[in-house]
Amino acid sequence: MLKLENVSARIDNVEVLRNISVELPGGSIVAVVGRNGAGKTTLLKAIMGLLNLEEGDISFEGQSLSKVKAYERVLLGIGYAPQERVMFPSMTVEENLRFPCQIARYSKEQIAERLKLTLEIVPQLEELLPRSGAALSGGQGKMAALGRALMVGSHMVLLDEPFQGLAPALAAQYSDALQRLHKKMPDLSIVITESNAGLLKDIPDKVMYIERGALLPEPAVSESTNESAVGAQL
Amino acid sequence: MGVDTLLLALIDGVSYAGLLFLVALGLTFIFGVVRVLNVAHGSLYAFGGYSAASMGIWFAQGAGSITLSILALILGAGIVGVILGYGLMLLLHRFRDRDPIIQLLVTFGAFMVLEDVQVMIWGTQPYFVSDVMFQMGDTSLLGVVFMNYQLWFIPSVALGVYVLLRWFLKHSLKGRQIIAVTHDREVATALGVNAGRIASFTFIIGASLGALGGALASPTTSLVPGVGADMIVLSFAVVATAGLGQISGALIVALMIGIARSLSVYFLPQFEVVMPYLIMMAVLLIRPQGLFTVAEARRI
Repeated sequence: MLKLENVSARIDNVEVLRNISVELPGGSIVAVVGRNGAGKTTLLKAIMGLLNLEEGDISFEGQSLSKVKAYERVLLGIGYAPQERVMFPSMTVEENLRFPCQIARYSKEQIAERLKLTLEIVPQLEELLPRSGAALSGGQGKMAALGRALMVGSHMVLLDEPFQGLAPALAAQYSDALQRLHKKMPDLSIVITESNAGLLKDIPDKVMYIERGALLPEPAVSESTNESAVGAQL
Repeated sequence: MGVDTLLLALIDGVSYAGLLFLVALGLTFIFGVVRVLNVAHGSLYAFGGYSAASMGIWFAQGAGSITLSILALILGAGIVGVILGYGLMLLLHRFRDRDPIIQLLVTFGAFMVLEDVQVMIWGTQPYFVSDVMFQMGDTSLLGVVFMNYQLWFIPSVALGVYVLLRWFLKHSLKGRQIIAVTHDREVATALGVNAGRIASFTFIIGASLGALGGALASPTTSLVPGVGADMIVLSFAVVATAGLGQISGALIVALMIGIARSLSVYFLPQFEVVMPYLIMMAVLLIRPQGLFTVAEARRI
């Protein structure tokens, strides 16, 4: 379970997260929806330890993350797919996928096992493996970023605006991959941020709304899965 | 223009380019990870040269051993690279979240202080320890006699360092972590890279390369106060022309500038000083991002 208690943070003296408290149960798919600049990416960065908290605490599986450095959070089984597709261009896609596992000192067998599982969930990556990280389209980059997050994300994956900029066919493939992921790894927690709730369809178990760094009251998924509903909330 | 003069200019140019490349490589390598243009890199070059010369005087001079002389060069560079590099890194670490202009000024301040420290340690009299150059002998090409040290040794070391560094970055996990931090520090951290440790490691490697450039230059030139300033300005020209963070680009531009400068010395001496900057200006007017940097669409 991921628990945020009174989390506040500032960047350049601007309050970017305001008193966020929420509990996300293990094995759930939670979406955080908000406009650009509302604080979605910042929230994920705070969970990953990439942003210092001004107040509050984040705990994962009962363990406070306040003493866990950002680069050590991978070891807790947290995978992160950033908003911008960041595949390292001088590595192949396969090298990109293996990279976080190698840093975390996985054995060769463990890496092979994770890669097999990742390819089962995101089969589109199979043919991209030998390709350079620089030679991917936007959609392929998003798929590869999901795959890389899955390589180490055994307990939780954080996906930052995965559907943004995806063509409808690729968005459907991405949704399918998430469905397969949830089926194969039902205990895995997934946090997705998105600016357009309509793109999430029926993927999340729970949708939360964020505006100006604060979480808004939670409507049910069925009540607002499109932008107009979000706009009405804001 | 005789063929022999042209050959002389080319060989001199390639040899100088080797030194220039090593210093520029260290500078661009550090910039890639730490995102600071380290003006004090010139001090690393100067201290590397003086340190190697001191080592040479201490245990290699008169011994007649090439191995001891080369060891003096390596030790001189290594000690400066690790100790001075580590010190500079700690200094910059204190300013890591500050404005890049402040960081640049801090390295400039460090450079000024180190210039004085250098005079305090080695004085103002020229230092010149050239045993290793004569120990390596000479080679005659088209009737022109070249010192093997300049003809083979310096270019080979520069090329060897380039190949080794490329291999290290491509095939070792540490090297790939450096690439990852260079490309995107935040994402690299989220993937488990200890970016602070990688930055320290990179800084010391880059500092050692600057010191190695100075150490290799020491047998070929008189070391005097100000030697670091000359080299750092030229290295900036190489790095700016190639594009910040471009390793292969730095090799090619160092060759271009080294040879152009050398040709000027022989054929247009009045342009010797200005030639590297003319090349830099010409390149930056056409490609402001540098010769080898791929322009990225600006994110808005």
